[in-house]
Amino acid sequence: MAFSANLEMTGSEARITLEGELDAAVADQFRQTVERAAQEKPQKLVLFMDKLQFMASAGLRVLVFAKQRMGRDVAIYVIGATGPVLNTMQMSGFHQAVYLQESYP
Amino acid sequence: MIQHSLPASLAALSDIRRLVMQACQTAGLSEDAAYRLALAVDEIATNIITHGYEEQGLTGDIVVSLDQTDKDLTVLLEDTGVAFDPRAQSLPTAEDLDKPLDDREIGGLGIFLALAGVDRFDYQRSDNVNRNLFAMNLA
Repeated sequence: MAFSANLEMTGSEARITLEGELDAAVADQFRQTVERAAQEKPQKLVLFMDKLQFMASAGLRVLVFAKQRMGRDVAIYVIGATGPVLNTMQMSGFHQAVYLQESYP
Repeated sequence: MIQHSLPASLAALSDIRRLVMQACQTAGLSEDAAYRLALAVDEIATNIITHGYEEQGLTGDIVVSLDQTDKDLTVLLEDTGVAFDPRAQSLPTAEDLDKPLDDREIGGLGIFLALAGVDRFDYQRSDNVNRNLFAMNLA
Protein backbone atom coordinates (compact mmCIF):
# COMPACT_ATOMS: atom_id res chain seq x y z
CA MET A 1 0.00 0.00 0.00
CA ALA A 2 1.33 3.44 -0.94
CA PHE A 3 2.65 5.56 1.90
CA SER A 4 1.18 8.90 2.91
CA ALA A 5 1.89 11.38 5.71
CA ASN A 6 -0.70 14.11 6.19
CA LEU A 7 -0.14 17.09 8.47
CA GLU A 8 -2.87 18.98 10.22
CA MET A 9 -2.20 21.81 12.69
CA THR A 10 -4.73 22.01 15.52
CA GLY A 11 -3.93 24.90 17.84
CA SER A 12 -0.45 24.22 19.18
CA GLU A 13 -0.55 20.55 18.12
CA ALA A 14 0.93 19.12 14.96
CA ARG A 15 -1.00 16.02 13.96
CA ILE A 16 0.44 13.70 11.34
CA THR A 17 -1.52 10.73 10.04
CA LEU A 18 0.65 7.94 8.62
CA GLU A 19 -0.75 5.32 6.27
CA GLY A 20 0.71 2.41 4.32
CA GLU A 21 4.28 1.14 4.38
CA LEU A 22 7.06 3.34 5.74
CA ASP A 23 10.41 2.17 4.36
CA ALA A 24 13.65 3.87 3.31
CA ALA A 25 12.18 4.71 -0.11
CA VAL A 26 9.50 6.98 1.39
CA ALA A 27 11.01 8.03 4.74
CA ASP A 28 12.05 11.39 3.31
CA GLN A 29 8.39 12.14 2.63
CA PHE A 30 7.71 11.65 6.37
CA ARG A 31 10.81 13.70 7.24
CA GLN A 32 9.64 16.61 5.09
CA THR A 33 6.22 16.48 6.75
CA VAL A 34 7.90 16.61 10.17
CA GLU A 35 10.01 19.53 8.95
CA ARG A 36 6.87 21.43 7.86
CA ALA A 37 5.33 20.68 11.26
CA ALA A 38 8.48 21.90 13.06
CA GLN A 39 8.28 25.24 11.26
CA GLU A 40 4.90 25.81 12.94
CA LYS A 41 6.66 25.47 16.35
CA PRO A 42 4.11 23.09 17.89
CA GLN A 43 4.07 22.21 21.59
CA LYS A 44 3.07 18.64 20.84
CA LEU A 45 3.57 16.23 17.93
CA VAL A 46 0.85 13.62 17.57
CA LEU A 47 1.46 10.74 15.16
CA PHE A 48 -1.52 8.60 14.19
CA MET A 49 -0.21 5.16 13.25
CA ASP A 50 -3.29 2.95 13.27
CA LYS A 51 -3.19 2.69 9.46
CA LEU A 52 0.57 2.18 9.28
CA GLN A 53 1.18 -1.37 8.09
CA PHE A 54 4.98 -1.46 8.05
CA MET A 55 7.75 0.63 9.57
CA ALA A 56 11.46 0.10 8.95
CA SER A 57 14.26 1.74 10.94
CA ALA A 58 14.18 4.60 8.43
CA GLY A 59 10.85 5.56 10.01
CA LEU A 60 12.30 5.35 13.52
CA ARG A 61 15.13 7.63 12.44
CA VAL A 62 12.55 10.26 11.45
CA LEU A 63 11.18 10.08 15.00
CA VAL A 64 14.69 10.79 16.29
CA PHE A 65 14.93 13.64 13.79
CA ALA A 66 11.57 14.99 14.99
CA LYS A 67 12.67 15.05 18.61
CA GLN A 68 16.03 16.61 17.85
CA ARG A 69 14.52 19.15 15.44
CA MET A 70 11.58 20.19 17.64
CA GLY A 71 13.40 20.13 20.95
CA ARG A 72 13.25 18.40 24.29
CA ASP A 73 10.08 20.19 25.41
CA VAL A 74 7.93 18.99 22.52
CA ALA A 75 6.26 15.73 23.53
CA ILE A 76 5.72 13.09 20.87
CA TYR A 77 2.55 11.03 21.05
CA VAL A 78 2.14 7.82 19.03
CA ILE A 79 -1.50 6.85 18.66
CA GLY A 80 -2.91 3.49 17.61
CA ALA A 81 0.34 1.65 16.81
CA THR A 82 -0.43 -2.04 16.96
CA GLY A 83 1.06 -5.43 16.23
CA PRO A 84 4.41 -5.54 14.50
CA VAL A 85 4.81 -1.76 14.24
CA LEU A 86 4.41 -1.49 18.01
CA ASN A 87 6.74 -4.46 18.45
CA THR A 88 9.43 -2.75 16.37
CA MET A 89 9.15 0.34 18.58
CA GLN A 90 9.43 -1.82 21.69
CA MET A 91 12.45 -3.77 20.39
CA SER A 92 14.29 -0.54 19.73
CA GLY A 93 13.31 1.13 22.99
CA PHE A 94 11.22 3.85 21.35
CA HIS A 95 8.16 2.97 23.43
CA GLN A 96 9.95 4.55 26.41
CA ALA A 97 10.76 7.72 24.52
CA VAL A 98 7.29 8.64 23.29
CA TYR A 99 3.79 8.62 24.76
CA LEU A 100 2.03 5.54 23.41
CA GLN A 101 -1.76 5.67 23.41
CA GLU A 102 -4.47 3.55 21.84
CA SER A 103 -6.63 6.54 20.99
CA TYR A 104 -6.50 10.32 21.14
CA PRO A 105 -9.24 12.74 22.04
CA MET B 1 13.91 -22.53 -5.04
CA ILE B 2 12.38 -19.41 -6.53
CA GLN B 3 14.72 -16.68 -7.73
CA HIS B 4 14.02 -13.05 -8.67
CA SER B 5 16.44 -10.38 -9.85
CA LEU B 6 15.54 -6.78 -9.06
CA PRO B 7 17.33 -3.50 -9.75
CA ALA B 8 19.14 -2.25 -6.63
CA SER B 9 17.06 0.85 -6.01
CA LEU B 10 15.01 1.85 -2.98
CA ALA B 11 11.89 1.63 -5.13
CA ALA B 12 12.44 -2.16 -5.25
CA LEU B 13 12.08 -2.52 -1.46
CA SER B 14 8.31 -2.93 -1.56
CA ASP B 15 8.62 -5.60 -4.29
CA ILE B 16 11.19 -7.48 -2.20
CA ARG B 17 8.90 -7.36 0.85
CA ARG B 18 6.02 -8.61 -1.29
CA LEU B 19 8.06 -11.60 -2.47
CA VAL B 20 9.07 -12.46 1.10
CA MET B 21 5.53 -12.14 2.44
CA GLN B 22 4.18 -14.39 -0.33
CA ALA B 23 6.77 -17.05 0.52
CA CYS B 24 5.89 -16.75 4.23
CA GLN B 25 2.22 -17.23 3.45
CA THR B 26 2.95 -20.31 1.34
CA ALA B 27 5.15 -21.71 4.13
CA GLY B 28 2.46 -21.09 6.75
CA LEU B 29 4.63 -18.82 8.88
CA SER B 30 2.80 -16.83 11.57
CA GLU B 31 2.04 -13.18 10.84
CA ASP B 32 4.51 -12.07 13.50
CA ALA B 33 7.35 -14.23 12.16
CA ALA B 34 6.55 -13.21 8.58
CA TYR B 35 6.73 -9.54 9.49
CA ARG B 36 10.05 -10.00 11.34
CA LEU B 37 11.54 -11.77 8.32
CA ALA B 38 10.22 -9.13 5.90
CA LEU B 39 11.61 -6.37 8.13
CA ALA B 40 15.01 -8.08 8.39
CA VAL B 41 15.27 -8.51 4.63
CA ASP B 42 14.09 -4.93 4.07
CA GLU B 43 16.73 -3.51 6.44
CA ILE B 44 19.63 -5.43 4.88
CA ALA B 45 18.39 -4.72 1.34
CA THR B 46 18.26 -1.01 2.26
CA ASN B 47 21.90 -1.21 3.38
CA ILE B 48 22.93 -3.00 0.20
CA ILE B 49 21.20 -0.42 -2.00
CA THR B 50 22.38 2.70 -0.16
CA HIS B 51 25.86 1.73 1.13
CA GLY B 52 26.75 -1.12 -1.21
CA TYR B 53 25.71 0.48 -4.47
CA GLU B 54 24.49 4.11 -4.43
CA GLU B 55 27.13 5.69 -2.15
CA GLN B 56 29.83 3.98 -4.23
CA GLY B 57 28.39 5.27 -7.49
CA LEU B 58 27.61 1.69 -8.50
CA THR B 59 24.54 0.19 -10.08
CA GLY B 60 23.48 -3.43 -10.12
CA ASP B 61 20.91 -5.92 -9.04
CA ILE B 62 19.79 -7.74 -5.94
CA VAL B 63 18.97 -11.38 -6.50
CA VAL B 64 16.34 -12.70 -4.08
CA SER B 65 16.16 -16.49 -3.66
CA LEU B 66 13.39 -18.06 -1.60
CA ASP B 67 13.60 -21.65 -0.46
CA GLN B 68 11.40 -23.75 1.77
CA THR B 69 12.28 -27.08 3.37
CA ASP B 70 10.56 -29.12 6.07
CA LYS B 71 12.61 -27.27 8.66
CA ASP B 72 12.82 -23.67 7.56
CA LEU B 73 12.12 -20.89 5.12
CA THR B 74 15.23 -19.12 3.84
CA VAL B 75 15.73 -15.89 1.96
CA LEU B 76 19.05 -15.27 0.26
CA LEU B 77 20.03 -11.80 -0.97
CA GLU B 78 22.94 -11.66 -3.40
CA ASP B 79 24.56 -8.44 -4.62
CA THR B 80 27.76 -7.25 -6.24
CA GLY B 81 28.12 -4.03 -4.24
CA VAL B 82 31.03 -3.40 -1.87
CA ALA B 83 31.74 -6.05 0.76
CA PHE B 84 29.60 -5.49 3.83
CA ASP B 85 29.20 -7.94 6.70
CA PRO B 86 26.24 -6.82 8.84
CA ARG B 87 27.53 -8.96 11.72
CA ALA B 88 30.72 -6.92 11.87
CA GLN B 89 28.94 -3.62 12.48
CA SER B 90 28.65 -2.09 15.92
CA LEU B 91 25.10 -2.40 17.14
CA PRO B 92 23.24 -0.30 19.68
CA THR B 93 23.65 -1.59 23.23
CA ALA B 94 20.84 -1.99 25.76
CA GLU B 95 22.01 1.33 27.21
CA ASP B 96 21.75 3.02 23.80
CA LEU B 97 18.21 1.68 23.35
CA ASP B 98 17.21 3.20 26.69
CA LYS B 99 18.34 6.69 25.74
CA PRO B 100 15.82 9.47 25.16
CA LEU B 101 15.36 10.33 21.50
CA ASP B 102 17.23 13.62 21.72
CA ASP B 103 20.38 11.76 22.81
CA ARG B 104 20.12 8.95 20.26
CA GLU B 105 22.71 8.06 17.70
CA ILE B 106 21.04 7.23 14.42
CA GLY B 107 23.17 4.33 13.12
CA GLY B 108 22.97 0.60 13.59
CA LEU B 109 19.30 0.33 14.36
CA GLY B 110 18.32 -1.35 11.09
CA ILE B 111 20.92 -4.08 11.38
CA PHE B 112 20.00 -4.56 15.04
CA LEU B 113 16.33 -5.11 14.07
CA ALA B 114 17.35 -7.43 11.22
CA LEU B 115 19.63 -9.68 13.26
CA ALA B 116 17.30 -9.74 16.28
CA GLY B 117 14.23 -10.62 14.24
CA VAL B 118 15.24 -13.82 12.45
CA ASP B 119 16.03 -17.31 13.73
CA ARG B 120 19.31 -17.47 11.79
CA PHE B 121 21.42 -15.03 9.83
CA ASP B 122 24.57 -15.70 7.85
CA TYR B 123 26.82 -13.64 5.61
CA GLN B 124 29.45 -14.77 3.12
CA ARG B 125 31.41 -13.04 0.41
CA SER B 126 32.97 -14.91 -2.46
CA ASP B 127 33.71 -14.13 -6.11
CA ASN B 128 32.85 -10.46 -5.40
CA VAL B 129 29.31 -11.38 -4.39
CA ASN B 130 27.76 -10.61 -1.00
CA ARG B 131 25.41 -13.30 0.25
CA ASN B 132 23.06 -12.46 3.13
CA LEU B 133 21.03 -15.44 4.31
CA PHE B 134 17.97 -15.22 6.56
CA ALA B 135 16.17 -18.26 7.97
CA MET B 136 12.97 -18.73 9.93
CA ASN B 137 12.16 -22.07 11.56
CA LEU B 138 8.96 -23.79 10.52
CA ALA B 139 6.81 -25.60 13.08
